[in-house]
Amino acid sequence: MHAPFFKFGAFGDEVGLIWAFVLGIGFGFFLERAGFGSAKKLVSQFYLDDLAVFKVMFTAIVTAMLGTFFLSRAGLLDLALVYRTPTFWVPQVVGGLLLGIGFVVGGYCPGTSVASLATGRLDAAAYVSGIVLGTAGFALAFPALRGLFHAGSLGARSLPEALHLPVGVVVFLVVLMAVGGFVGAQALERRFARIHPERS
Amino acid sequence: MFRLSRLSLHQRLAGTALVLGSLAVVMPQPPAGRVTLDTAELARLVQTTEDHVRPRELADWILAGRSDYRLIDLRSQAEFAGYHIPGAENVPIAGLIDAGLPPNETLVLYSDGGIHAAQAWVLLRASGFRSVYSLLNGLDGWKEEVLFPVTPRSPTAEEARHFAAAVEVARHFGGAPRAADPTEGASTSTFTSVLAPPVASPGSSIAAPTLPSGAPRTSGSGAKPKKKEGC
Repeated sequence: MHAPFFKFGAFGDEVGLIWAFVLGIGFGFFLERAGFGSAKKLVSQFYLDDLAVFKVMFTAIVTAMLGTFFLSRAGLLDLALVYRTPTFWVPQVVGGLLLGIGFVVGGYCPGTSVASLATGRLDAAAYVSGIVLGTAGFALAFPALRGLFHAGSLGARSLPEALHLPVGVVVFLVVLMAVGGFVGAQALERRFARIHPERS
Repeated sequence: MFRLSRLSLHQRLAGTALVLGSLAVVMPQPPAGRVTLDTAELARLVQTTEDHVRPRELADWILAGRSDYRLIDLRSQAEFAGYHIPGAENVPIAGLIDAGLPPNETLVLYSDGGIHAAQAWVLLRASGFRSVYSLLNGLDGWKEEVLFPVTPRSPTAEEARHFAAAVEVARHFGGAPRAADPTEGASTSTFTSVLAPPVASPGSSIAAPTLPSGAPRTSGSGAKPKKKEGC
């Protein structure tokens, strides 16, 4: 059997939705298990005394990257059929900054806020309400934002294409970057845990 | 002496990632040119109409200045010179496979009707192109839906609003609205005879508007110089 299973017709839209639900619950479960259901844990990232979010996310990226790379090389996954989000760098920079500000102010990012709401936290309920209102506001303001929405289009680009490097070399470089990031994160945590001892 | 058991779990995981990352560098590249054609997937795309773009949708892309796709005119050079959709590039269907089009870019194909573009769509999909679309009904659809929209008879407020927007788009591309055909479902010859008079561009003797020569190749930017027309 070859992946992506949906693209190769292993199941249809309805079963796909069931899988999405199961995977979503799994994602939320592991976010909560990692402590990411708590805004306090998440904002520690910005005080630099607990970089668990950075480490967990980068570990997930490296695991998924190595998995997809070796599965595709083994002929089990057709990477060309895996959807790639097109790059529109202007709205993505603007949206990224907006999300970052929301993360610092609200203590959550969209996925963790939903996981946290599921555990009954009220601050998460306020945050999710903000997401819903913001989404509705964006939809209403879309005619005015259309120009921004399509600005800076680069198509569905990948790092190997942009850097003109073989995929394997990029995989290695990302692993190096991750390991370097983990070492740096540990050092930062040790340094800032001393500066904010009251937070630990 | 190096002992694996003395490493923490984090260090072991980092070591594993480094080993796998190094393996990725020396792993041989898969043979080029090998394509698995998934006929069920193609049939699904056709069934769910994900294989084509509607003319009005394309017009909106051009007006929005989108540049994340390439518009390919599959007709002959002479036909292309006569008229083409702004921003299109000419790749006659015979030379399509050898034209060096990048397989990872989004391509929108069109010809006079819908058939050549649909055939070219299959050819490109079979050659490993993933993001290919054909323009629904080709240039005929473009003329009918974008350049010369039909004035609705006794429209509702909603229809009138849509039509006003369509007229705006038509004028942008050098077209104009046309009157509703009193004999509903009449042949193309009637359609063509209605087409000719409203064309605003001076010196245009064909049904479709004439574009200035040397229209830009890059999708999206081609429409901009004509902005002044009709508005």
